Amino acid sequence: MKTFLKKMYDWVDERVELKGLVDYMGKKYVPVHRHSVWYYFGGVSLFLFIIQVVTGILLLLYYKSGEELAFESIHFIMSKVQFGWLIRSIHSWTANLFILSAMIHMFSVYFEKSYRKPREITWMTGMLMFFLLLGFGFSGYLLPWNELAFFATKVGTDIAGVVPVVGKPLMIFLRGGDDVTGATLSRFFGFHVAVLPGIFTVFLGIHLLLVQRQGMSEPLHWKEDPEQKTMPFFPNFLLRDISLWLLVLNLLAILAVFFPWELGKKADAFAPAPAGIKPEWYFLYMFQTLKFIPGKLWILDGEVLGIGLFGAAGVLWTLVPFWDLKSARGEQNRLANYLGLFAVIYIIILTIIGWLA
Amino acid sequence: MKHFSLSLIFTFLLILHLQARGQDQCFECHKNAEDNPSKLFDHDIHHQKGITCAGCHGGNSQTDDMEQAMNKKAGFIGRPQGDDISRVCASCHGSQEKMKYFGSSLPTNQWKNLQTSIHAKPALKGKEQIVQCTTCHNAHGIVSVKNPSSPVYPLNVVKTCARCHADVAFMRSYNPSLPVDQLEKYRTSVHGMRNGKGDPKTAQCASCHGSHNIRAVKDVKSNVYFSNLPGTCAKCHSNTAYMKEYKIPTDQYEKYAKSVHGIAVLQKHDPGAPACNNCHGNHGAMPPGIESISKVCGTCHALNAELFASSPHKKAFEERKLPECETCHSNHEIVAATDKLLGTAPEAVCSRCHSAVQNPNGYLAAKVMRGLIDTMENREEYAKELVDEADQKGMDISDAKFKLRDIRQARLQSRTMVHAFNEAKFEEVVDNGLKTADFVISESQSSIHEYFFRRIGLAVSTIIITILALALYAFVRRLERKKNEVNK
Repeated sequence: MKTFLKKMYDWVDERVELKGLVDYMGKKYVPVHRHSVWYYFGGVSLFLFIIQVVTGILLLLYYKSGEELAFESIHFIMSKVQFGWLIRSIHSWTANLFILSAMIHMFSVYFEKSYRKPREITWMTGMLMFFLLLGFGFSGYLLPWNELAFFATKVGTDIAGVVPVVGKPLMIFLRGGDDVTGATLSRFFGFHVAVLPGIFTVFLGIHLLLVQRQGMSEPLHWKEDPEQKTMPFFPNFLLRDISLWLLVLNLLAILAVFFPWELGKKADAFAPAPAGIKPEWYFLYMFQTLKFIPGKLWILDGEVLGIGLFGAAGVLWTLVPFWDLKSARGEQNRLANYLGLFAVIYIIILTIIGWLA
Repeated sequence: MKHFSLSLIFTFLLILHLQARGQDQCFECHKNAEDNPSKLFDHDIHHQKGITCAGCHGGNSQTDDMEQAMNKKAGFIGRPQGDDISRVCASCHGSQEKMKYFGSSLPTNQWKNLQTSIHAKPALKGKEQIVQCTTCHNAHGIVSVKNPSSPVYPLNVVKTCARCHADVAFMRSYNPSLPVDQLEKYRTSVHGMRNGKGDPKTAQCASCHGSHNIRAVKDVKSNVYFSNLPGTCAKCHSNTAYMKEYKIPTDQYEKYAKSVHGIAVLQKHDPGAPACNNCHGNHGAMPPGIESISKVCGTCHALNAELFASSPHKKAFEERKLPECETCHSNHEIVAATDKLLGTAPEAVCSRCHSAVQNPNGYLAAKVMRGLIDTMENREEYAKELVDEADQKGMDISDAKFKLRDIRQARLQSRTMVHAFNEAKFEEVVDNGLKTADFVISESQSSIHEYFFRRIGLAVSTIIITILALALYAFVRRLERKKNEVNK
């Protein structure tokens, strides 16, 4: 068996010079310290992305976009297609775990200050991918064309419409008209399976290339560490990462079997909105904040103010490598830490309030 | 204040009494003039009770001086107009004290009832209600309702009502959709015929519709509102003493109340279910004849009646003069038809005529049909159980769930198809139901199987993946140990 594998490796190596790549990867080291565990979430996010691509392609074989077909086709996938229920459930659960994993990855990178020079571009491509991920979630949520998705999209696009100047045209662009209709479904489908994956893959490519090129970031206290323990990226770190991927795969399978993703009722534009319409959990803290802000605040519209604040926070967060100069100098930046901590606590509390509301 | 009111009432009664006891000069003069009102008033019950003309027209009937008698200052009102007519009547007929004074035990709520009745709607002029007391009772010459010459005497009341209700032009101006042939139909009914022959006990308009408190048929308070009607009919028809001389049963209401129709009307208030009038007619009420029973039932159960008409039973029933639907389903006490009616068991109606010896073909057909319908019921029950089980396991079973309705539909169709008494046709319907049941059972079983397959599959894959993850981890650890040993 070993000889066969060696022969196979040699056969490929002879043609594509695999040795160079393996040697390069073997020379790459991952710092080992008490926060090393957070390094794995980048890999987990990548694994979840791969699952999304694979299950998404499988769903595409049967999914039919359109007001009259979308719901029925998902129902068909779940009830008639062999393992259709599993693929759909895994796709839906992975979407959620992907966002959760990406959030953990983002916050761990933030608190480790891994965005410092020379990794500004890596951080920014990661942030852009995170925004695209939210776009994936928002557009994918509508695709089954069920009641909850229909009204959540209505509310979501309504909020986008509040943005001054560009809001209204943006809302019409997203909806493909004044209301959420079959046209909205068609373009959300287009965004979900073509536009967003295309852009995402470009950013992912750059992100991974930079990670490989620059290696794993060392924490601020690394230089003071007398041991400076490391492990080879290949095969040690990669195999450990793969072990974790397998456990995540287990988790997904358990979730899909014991908590299959429900389809709900088909969307009906003429039906009254069901009570307690809420967005997906990753938008909940923003939604809840907008609910808390009074309708009119001094001369400003409450909703516009809320969206403005979130927009500004997003920009500030994305540009952190450029304003956190202290970390760039290798010093502790307590303000950045407190801001990050505030963001985490705020998101958790508001999400819980929104969930219970 | 209380003392003042009492003294006023007393004074009024005293004046009334004096007027009654004294000479009625108005009547005397009018009688001499031989006018029609005085002629009629001569035998009017009010005149006999000593009430003078002034009792209704006001003024002073003690004097023969016309100016004094008809002096408006003395309270003369002349001929009352519009609703004032009824108000004048009600001034005595609405007062228990006054009625008691004249020795009458009549109720005193007639005017109140009339005002809430359908007849209180505004007349064409719009200033008064359609019907006043005098419309039915006349103005002068009013006699007791028990007096055969009274327009509201049971034998006369139908004509009195018909004065308006049979007048096409008059009724059109108030309710163009209301029929005007009630009297005509009534005369063809058992009630009408007996009434025509002089039997005052039989039902006439007021017996069912009420007298002063007549309401529209659609009014829930009406005596003839669909769910009140059986009770209205039962007032006479369940009264054994009252019905004794007619020699007909008096348990119809009791039976009807227990029947599927009675429960629907009286308990569920289902306006689609039949009350007495739907089978017997209302104004032309009469028991349906043997030959017309299926037609009457067929007005609602059209398909059953149609199938029966083309069945071999049609001829057999006709020859034996058996009432079609009633023979198997009874009349007033029709209970919900169950599958038990079919077959050869003692409780099955088929066995009443078909025995294994005398009529083996019919007997066998009944047996086969019952067997088929039982099979379908069992399969349906089994299919339901499996669908429930799959549903409880969280499997998507919507197609099978939907098809369950088709099995039920087929079972209902088969019950209807029984009325064709044709084994082949019956089998065709049952076959459809059984095929659907088989589909539902197979789908549900697949779903239940899938449920267990998923769990077993999950267990197997989880074990494999976990072993793989642990193996990888162990491999890395081994690599690291080796490297550490090399470094050392």
